[in-house]
Amino acid sequence: MSTKEKLISHVSKEEAVGSKNKVTVVGVGMVGMASAISILLKDLCDDLALVDVMEDKLKGEVMDLQHGSLFLKTHRIAADKDYSVTANSKVVIVTAGARQQEGESRLNLVQRNVNIFKFIIPNIVKYSPNCILLVVSNPVDILTYVAWKLSGFPRNRVIGSGTNLDSARFRHLMAEKLHLHPSSCHGWIIGEHGDSSVPVWSGVNVAGVSLQALNPNMGGESDSENWKEVHHQVVQGAYEVIKLKGYTSWAIGLSVADLVESIMKNLHKVQPVSTLVQGMHGVNEEVFLSVPCVLGNSGLTDVINMTLKPDEEQQLRKSAETLWGVQKELTL
Amino acid sequence: MLIIWWYIYFTARSIVKQSKYQCLKMSATLQKLITPLFKGLPEPPRNKVTVVGVGQVGMACAVSILLRELADELALVDVLEDKLKGEMMDLQHGSLFLKTPTIVADKDYSVTANSRIIVVTAGVRQQEGESRLNLVQRNVNIFKHIIPQIVRYSPDCIILVVSNPVDVLTYVTWKLSGLPMHRVIGSGTNLDSARFRYLMADKLGIHPSSFNGWILGEHGDTSVPVWSGTNVAGVNLQTLNPNIGTDEDEENWKETHKMVVDSAYEVIKLKGYTNWAIGLSVADLTESIMRNMNRLHPVSTMVQGMYGIGEEVYLSLPCVLNGGGVSSVVNMTLTQEEVGQLRDSASTLWEIQKDLKDL
Repeated sequence: MSTKEKLISHVSKEEAVGSKNKVTVVGVGMVGMASAISILLKDLCDDLALVDVMEDKLKGEVMDLQHGSLFLKTHRIAADKDYSVTANSKVVIVTAGARQQEGESRLNLVQRNVNIFKFIIPNIVKYSPNCILLVVSNPVDILTYVAWKLSGFPRNRVIGSGTNLDSARFRHLMAEKLHLHPSSCHGWIIGEHGDSSVPVWSGVNVAGVSLQALNPNMGGESDSENWKEVHHQVVQGAYEVIKLKGYTSWAIGLSVADLVESIMKNLHKVQPVSTLVQGMHGVNEEVFLSVPCVLGNSGLTDVINMTLKPDEEQQLRKSAETLWGVQKELTL
Repeated sequence: MLIIWWYIYFTARSIVKQSKYQCLKMSATLQKLITPLFKGLPEPPRNKVTVVGVGQVGMACAVSILLRELADELALVDVLEDKLKGEMMDLQHGSLFLKTPTIVADKDYSVTANSRIIVVTAGVRQQEGESRLNLVQRNVNIFKHIIPQIVRYSPDCIILVVSNPVDVLTYVTWKLSGLPMHRVIGSGTNLDSARFRYLMADKLGIHPSSFNGWILGEHGDTSVPVWSGTNVAGVNLQTLNPNIGTDEDEENWKETHKMVVDSAYEVIKLKGYTNWAIGLSVADLTESIMRNMNRLHPVSTMVQGMYGIGEEVYLSLPCVLNGGGVSSVVNMTLTQEEVGQLRDSASTLWEIQKDLKDL
């Protein structure tokens, strides 16, 4: 008898129940791994799978995480180049693809990343036909549209991480100005995750007190407090961090874990993520933009109807046009 | 000449006026929104952690500590200013999702003042195939700059050394800091034991926390697996398999310890460095200290006088960690062979330490 047999007697007559809460992360670059470690440290899944094309890097990353298992509550951490390792995932996070170089805009990455998605998405769908896709790769709004088209999933199961991060950056900067915690500073940035995101000034509040009511020029040119600069810093945020350390990882990783938490725990929390906005705010094109959405275990089930100013809606429509201009040229 | 001075004076004045004006501008909304009840200096942090070195290990430690909500303030220090600022900003952008309201960073050590725990990850790391002992003198020179500054700004802190070779560098830190020995701790074999418990538990189909096993001694090639202590639910594995860990063992459990020793080299070969496991292990130690838990961990401490060790060296033994640092060491019953291995490690380490310059 082996040591194991002397020590342990197997008594269950049933098959082991597979994982109920499996998460897959596609891409083990800086963003993928930051998402993985955030998800692990928040105890969000009982099974984590990693996929990538770089086999050595993939194996090294999974070993490093496994070596930390004593400190975690995720029973299985596995990785493979082959997508069969991702089977039966509840949520699949796609971070794979080329990333912005210093000074490069997100829209530039499009065609490179579309080609990568043409390989990834069908493989994900094959092994987890009921999963929820969370797209992070940039340009996220376009790539969420691409993932939606390539997967054939209903729109509630294809979500883009969108402006969840932009809003988090905004709330951090707002919190610094007001000497409060970011979770007490409410502000929504919607639209494109990128240079033309839209700060909804009318909604910015603390304890329900609208800051725009206290400062009617807020966000405008004649605003003596120069809140417009805050939004500018949000837009520039990623470029600045990339210039200083080469890439961004921690903030987006935490933001992804936050979204995964809402889905896995069926929180019905309202978060700004990228979804199909055709028919809303005068947008006619089949594009994905960020608006406040309700997230739960069925994915993205509802959208909050924001009351936007005419110029805010104008900005959304303009983003939609720009995105559609790029999307219609894509070969899917 | 005078005109130039006037220009300078007026520019300076307008800058000061503008910055005062900015504060005034913001205070309009602030005053309408918020009524302060307490006018005074803000409270200093009570649970501040500093991480020295923002490489892969340092940042993995930082993010693990942040996600475990162990600190009310986190400070980062490094010499690479851009990288440092970028890392700080990236963490700050995630503040909404965290419960550590103050995250700061600077090249200047004044940013680390009043830390309870300082995690030192700075230094050069092992290249592929390089042993930890090779890094020594290079890292001693870096520590000569770092340690005095740490102590200057946080004289009551506990220093947790992670940089390799950790046992030697913990000794070096102790000497350079002048702190009492119980406040200088090396991350030691906390990670080796975690890897061991993971690998053993995996073979048995149970969670690592349900497998009890200790690896002591040097964090490195000559670490000592205490087979006589390995157990699950109090059932001693060596009693079930008296050959466990020896060459006569048919089941070759010894291979598991070898895998632990090789782990770091393997991961380095595959991805270039290791970070997640060591980061989680450091957060685990930080938790015991910060929360005054009196939990047992295998960490590197001053072992002179124990197990017949005569040299002034640091090696990993089971230590009780609490808010004061290492409060006590548990006297594990070791076999003669295991004691012999510890003494061998001690001699090897002393051979290196005695040649170190300028401590």
